[in-house]
Amino acid sequence: MTSRVVVAMQGVTKSYPNGRVALRGVDLVIPEGDFVFLVGPSGAGKSTVIKLLIRDELPTKGAVLLDGRDLGKLKRRDVPKIRRKIGIVFQDFKLLPTKSVRDNVAFALEVIGTPRREITPAVDRALRVVGLTGQADQLPSQLSGGEQQRTAIARALVHNPRLFIADEPTGNLDPLISWEIIQLLLRINEMGVTVLMATHNAEVVTAVRKRVVALEDGRIVRDQVAAAYEREA
Amino acid sequence: MMAFIAFSLRRAWEGFRGNGLMSAAATATMVLMLVLLSGLIILLTGLDSTLKSVEDEVQVVAYLRDSSTQSEISSLQTSLRNMPQVTLVGYVSKDQAYNDFVTRHPDQVDVIKSLPNNPMPASLRINLRDPNDYVDVASYLKNNPDVERVLNIKQTVDQMVTVINVLRAGGVGILLVVGLIVLFIIVNTIRLAVVSRADEIEIMRLVGASDAFIRWPFVFEGAIVGLLGAVITIGLLFPITALLSPYLNVLPVEAGLTVGQNVALIVLGSGVGIGVLGSYLSVRSYLHR
Repeated sequence: MTSRVVVAMQGVTKSYPNGRVALRGVDLVIPEGDFVFLVGPSGAGKSTVIKLLIRDELPTKGAVLLDGRDLGKLKRRDVPKIRRKIGIVFQDFKLLPTKSVRDNVAFALEVIGTPRREITPAVDRALRVVGLTGQADQLPSQLSGGEQQRTAIARALVHNPRLFIADEPTGNLDPLISWEIIQLLLRINEMGVTVLMATHNAEVVTAVRKRVVALEDGRIVRDQVAAAYEREA
Repeated sequence: MMAFIAFSLRRAWEGFRGNGLMSAAATATMVLMLVLLSGLIILLTGLDSTLKSVEDEVQVVAYLRDSSTQSEISSLQTSLRNMPQVTLVGYVSKDQAYNDFVTRHPDQVDVIKSLPNNPMPASLRINLRDPNDYVDVASYLKNNPDVERVLNIKQTVDQMVTVINVLRAGGVGILLVVGLIVLFIIVNTIRLAVVSRADEIEIMRLVGASDAFIRWPFVFEGAIVGLLGAVITIGLLFPITALLSPYLNVLPVEAGLTVGQNVALIVLGSGVGIGVLGSYLSVRSYLHR
């Protein structure tokens, strides 16, 4: 199949009940297999874009399509199904402290009703991708920050998502570890998963030379392939 | 479906064990509240049977004419027995009444013996299903030619009925208020236990768990808390009632096994019920947003 569109935002405006307008007429298309950096100062609307994509929020105006489905027209009971097309990681990892690495990853499959015999091989595969096979039985508290984020990445990957969203994944990590995480995300992208990464990490963005979508005050001010963090002359 | 139930039960048990402190707090609250509730129920049951035995004491006493024949009296007895308000009709003959008087007032034996013949009338003693029916039965008897006189205790009966009704209503009122307080406190404790696991629920939502997969493990966990709390409560209740029963025996109540069984069932039902309800409501607020 020729490159399908994973994300399409058409004229999306989002204003919150408190009157704040987070997005103003945003158009964004992300084809399958793309790697996109979403950059911009705090409050520019990056978080709102992500909330709209996982349908935590609905657009005030315009439409958000994920894998061809209009999220605004989704029935409530279909919301979980669309979330299964997405894997997401955050700055604060959101791991369950009482569960081992393996159980944290398996949790994502258990709670969507995956049969047990399919869980073990899928978890093993995800742990291999992130390189945590050796730490599978440790608790999050026994891991370094980078390992914790890789656990979260394995959990976001284990159900074969169409879109991988990383929300400031390196925000809590030192530069060297950040690079490891970026390398991992690039490898996941090479495996065919579409990646959208919201970040402030200028160094990384500029070095990797991928598509950059820059938000400012709720508008897309730049959408450039093989770009740097800042606008270049 | 079976896999889903197995999953939910396993997750519920994991959740209960994995959050020891919260589970213990919720269970302890459950036990305290259920002890309070069941103690109140036992007291009110005692009160109710005391009131019932007082009510059963109410009798309509009708003195019969000496001229009435035996067949007239027995046909009157039959018609009384056929009245729906009547539970029991007792007959006290003239001789019996005489003997009763002699036993009850031994100092006046000389007086009654000095009379030429037995002055005591025969009487019917009618027990009522409900003391409120006193007037109906009394007036029926008054109009009967075989009845000389009906003992008038209407005022006493009315006063008694009023006091009993106030006590009953008060008991039900207190039970309702305490029941609501118990419900409120347990639901809030369970809510705290659920709130402490907001992260877990958020992760479940993010990875696309359906509402049922999020809700039911928590509901089962609430049921576990309720069940455990109820079992502990019942375990505590038996020695407590055994300890107290000598003091409660002044009441004319069989505060024995039947009451115990009913209370155990109520404790079990309300424990599990409130546990389930509390979890259901607490998780719901996370799903609808």
